[in-house]
Amino acid sequence: MNTDKILIAYDGSENAQRSVAYTAAMVGCDGGRQVEVVAIERPPDRDLFADDAAWKAECAKRIETMQAALVQARDMLVAAGVAEAAVTTRFVESCRSPLRDAQECSIGTSIALEILRLATEGGFGTVVVGRRGVSKQEEFLFGSVSTKIIHAAKGLAVWVVA
Amino acid sequence: MAPSARELLTKMAPDFPARHVGDLYTDTTEFMRISHGDVIVLKDRHFLVLRDEAERRFGMEDPKFWVKRCRCLETGERNILKLVFHETFPMTIGSMVVTCTRSPRKETRILDLVHGDSRFMQGVTIYDTVGNPVRILDVVSGKRLDEKIEALEMPHRDYFHELFPEVLERFIEACQAIQWLHDRGEKHGDIRRDHLYVLYDTGRYCWIDFDYTFDFRESPFGLDLFGLGNIIQFLVGMGQHTTQALTPAKRAEISTDDCSIMFPNRIVNLQKLFPYIPDSLNRILLRYSLAAEVYYDTTRELIDDLSRVRDALSKPML
Repeated sequence: MNTDKILIAYDGSENAQRSVAYTAAMVGCDGGRQVEVVAIERPPDRDLFADDAAWKAECAKRIETMQAALVQARDMLVAAGVAEAAVTTRFVESCRSPLRDAQECSIGTSIALEILRLATEGGFGTVVVGRRGVSKQEEFLFGSVSTKIIHAAKGLAVWVVA
Repeated sequence: MAPSARELLTKMAPDFPARHVGDLYTDTTEFMRISHGDVIVLKDRHFLVLRDEAERRFGMEDPKFWVKRCRCLETGERNILKLVFHETFPMTIGSMVVTCTRSPRKETRILDLVHGDSRFMQGVTIYDTVGNPVRILDVVSGKRLDEKIEALEMPHRDYFHELFPEVLERFIEACQAIQWLHDRGEKHGDIRRDHLYVLYDTGRYCWIDFDYTFDFRESPFGLDLFGLGNIIQFLVGMGQHTTQALTPAKRAEISTDDCSIMFPNRIVNLQKLFPYIPDSLNRILLRYSLAAEVYYDTTRELIDDLSRVRDALSKPML
């Protein structure tokens, strides 16, 4: 298990920001660690929109917001003392996005499984995820990225920041 | 003002009373205006509107003005025409509120996908003159499953041993139909026991109404799985059982953990009411209880568990 590579699952939410802050505090100025902040695109369901123009506009807005959030996450880590060279960000577009032009894409059925796939492929020893603290009912209907990561993770450490 | 349908009906439906003849519509946008005696023209087909469809729930009739019961003047067949109605509304499930959207294009896509598959209602989409996708549905030749179950007049023990094994077999097939949709990235969207019909000719089950959609994140099929759980509770229990309907002595034996994760008065631990329900089946029901710690993630998992119960039930009792 590579303890020097940490992957943060990021969606720009307050919980995710807390997980960045926690990681920054844990890693601090230790120059030996690499931190990657990953956001997986999740476009809204196309069927929710009366026409494709409205759907594409919403997709574009979400991408812009997420990319800005990634910059913010990177700045938080650097401001906490993590070397700039040790921080990377990554935005994985959805295969279902109408605006996609990247080679790599997320199939979009589960953010949690996508995160774990990236962690395995990249040789990360730690995955950090924020937890919303949802009710049982919400978890039942909507699912929970952090719960699924905890259940499905193998061969790595999971930090859940609640 | 739409032109009168008089001439057309005189020629194609001479039996239709002249005093009820209405207007001809090629644009269905204003569906509230279209009513009994009007004719909807879609390409080369003409549909005489007989009435608005209505949904009967909780003893009340809820009219659906965008859904018209019609007679096709060319074929004489009865059809249901679903006109375009965009709405987003909050759907309450227990203490949760889920935002639902009605999507004509989702239903159109699924109708195309399930064409020829008797596990789903059948229909085609024709676009009216302004591009509204009008779904022309075949009337399902069957009876609502829940009505059939509720009409049974027999003790639960007899039902469970004599009828339930076949009900379970058919329900597993219905779950497989939903899994087939999920495997193709589609969700039913509105799985309820009154959306499952028993076909008159084969006794097999048929799903209707696919126009709801919702945006769930990590569990895109969570609401479908919840719907399937509600139906299996109903089928195992031969109806729904609530704490209010129990005697005080029986109610004292029921805890909150025995009730639905979403509806605190619905008993899902049915083994407490019917002790002959096997553990393997009751464990499935308990996945939908407030005490559950692990939920079904996919329809495949539910089908696997139900299939094991079916296999066990079909073994002769020693």
